[in-house]
Amino acid sequence: MKEAILKTENLTKKYKDFTALDQASITVNKGDIYGLIGRNGAGKTTLMKVVTTLTNKSGGEFYLFGNKDEDMTESKRRIGCLIENPAFFDNMTAYQNLKYYTIQKGIVDKSQIDRVLELVKLTDSKDKKFKTFSLGMKQRLGIAFAMLDNPDFVILDEPINGLDPIGISELRDTLKKLNEESGITMMISSHILSELYLIANRFCFIDNGKIIKEMTKEELDAQCCKSLVIKTNNVKEAVVVLENEFGTNNYKVIDDQEIRLYDFLEESGKVNKALASKDIDVISIYESGITLEEYFMSIVKEG
Amino acid sequence: MLNIIKSDIYRLFKGKCVFIVTLIIMILAGVSVATMSAGHFGIAVGSAGQMEQMSNPEFVQKMNDAKTLKDFREVMHELGSDKLDRDIIAQNINLYYFLIAFVVVIITRDFSNKSVKNTLSSAVSRREYYTSKLLLLLGVTTVLVLFNNYFNYFLNLIVNKKEMASSIGYITKITLYQMPLIYGMAMMLVCIAFAVRKTSIFNTISIPFIMVIQVIMMIVFAIIRETPEWYTKFEVQNALANLANDPSSKYIVECGLLGIIYIVIFGCVGYYIFSKAEIK
Repeated sequence: MKEAILKTENLTKKYKDFTALDQASITVNKGDIYGLIGRNGAGKTTLMKVVTTLTNKSGGEFYLFGNKDEDMTESKRRIGCLIENPAFFDNMTAYQNLKYYTIQKGIVDKSQIDRVLELVKLTDSKDKKFKTFSLGMKQRLGIAFAMLDNPDFVILDEPINGLDPIGISELRDTLKKLNEESGITMMISSHILSELYLIANRFCFIDNGKIIKEMTKEELDAQCCKSLVIKTNNVKEAVVVLENEFGTNNYKVIDDQEIRLYDFLEESGKVNKALASKDIDVISIYESGITLEEYFMSIVKEG
Repeated sequence: MLNIIKSDIYRLFKGKCVFIVTLIIMILAGVSVATMSAGHFGIAVGSAGQMEQMSNPEFVQKMNDAKTLKDFREVMHELGSDKLDRDIIAQNINLYYFLIAFVVVIITRDFSNKSVKNTLSSAVSRREYYTSKLLLLLGVTTVLVLFNNYFNYFLNLIVNKKEMASSIGYITKITLYQMPLIYGMAMMLVCIAFAVRKTSIFNTISIPFIMVIQVIMMIVFAIIRETPEWYTKFEVQNALANLANDPSSKYIVECGLLGIIYIVIFGCVGYYIFSKAEIK
């Protein structure tokens, strides 16, 4: 069983009559890149703010590295965060801002500043004042800050905001590399599922403060990928035909009337003909499959 | 905690505030010493000596007749206070504005630019954060008061010679007497800063705060046709002036206790508000 880095149990945050986070229970395991997906105002940032103690919870519990929320100081030493917009001192340079935080975190090795600046490709701009940075550069400096002191767990709130396509691609590669090579666990929020899909291995859908679904990438693939839906009264024999006539076992029996075939998507006529030739009644046969965004919309509506 | 203080000191010296405040204190000291008169702000006039001078028509006439700085210095020398350094220290309420500047740099800027999130989301508890900021501000207050008092003392000693200067022991003594009240004043600013958590609102409240209180008090006293003794004794501006002019032991203790009460009350209220606050 994997070690849980972050575990929340019925975590709730209320602002007077408004419930921003409603009994959220999630688990982020060691080594995960955990994608938190939801519309604007769904509760992603609130969840992150509660687990980083930027706001007080109204109910429930959470555990960071196995430590309960009342004793967070040591656990927080092992995390790096970028919550909402990157915030630094305008009149100080990128290097000075990071130096300020290395002093604050008690980091003796100042070469870490150059390392994280290199990581986010800001080495050339390290002596520029923060106020002169573009939104993308500010975002990258925020990520550099989160990576200071080699954290075990990084929480990034909408890190691709303001980045250009090349920046997004570079950031994705950097985060993947850090996850694979250094084993850093990550929780990344976004409202763009297609972007998260390219990097995360587990997903959590959140809407109106409620956790709607947690799933692995494989489960998401299964829900979203294209397939040939075969509706028949004789599933058993239809499966035999698919295996013998088409030599495939890349299918899934959904129920006693439905098979999903993931091959031969362009040859539905041929499949239909083969089934009919064995006296199998085909009620319907059609291509199905939805995009990630469509899937996101559908489960948000369900939720 | 020490790391937060160290990082804020690093940031203080990367900004202009320290240098501007130092320069202004030096300019004010220069003007006071050159004109042999201590400046003051607010509604209440400064020391008893100054009040006496201002009510003397002969003195006012001579001041108006003075055409050059030399003439003015001669008038002041003839009729003015004989201990200028003490008069300047009596006006230490002026430091209130410098304290506002430091509170902005050390505390409210963290909230205004939202960098407080970076600190609180790492291994720093709110208590640690609050205590660090508070200790740093009290440290800065100490340095500010010491620099102001001793710079004025030595400048006065050099320019106006011994006859207009007190002894260094006396200056040290009145500096210590004033400290609890000045710390109380600093704590009040810390409390306001953590309560409002925004530079613009903090400035709007804190800059006119003392003067607004004085105006309200004056209106109330005008209505009741009496200025209570506690006001002349314990209103901060009056108390700081009184403490610089041979106060009694009882009065020193009373003002010390008042300062401690301010420190405790504002410190607790500030922390309570901050501990419940939503960090945006």
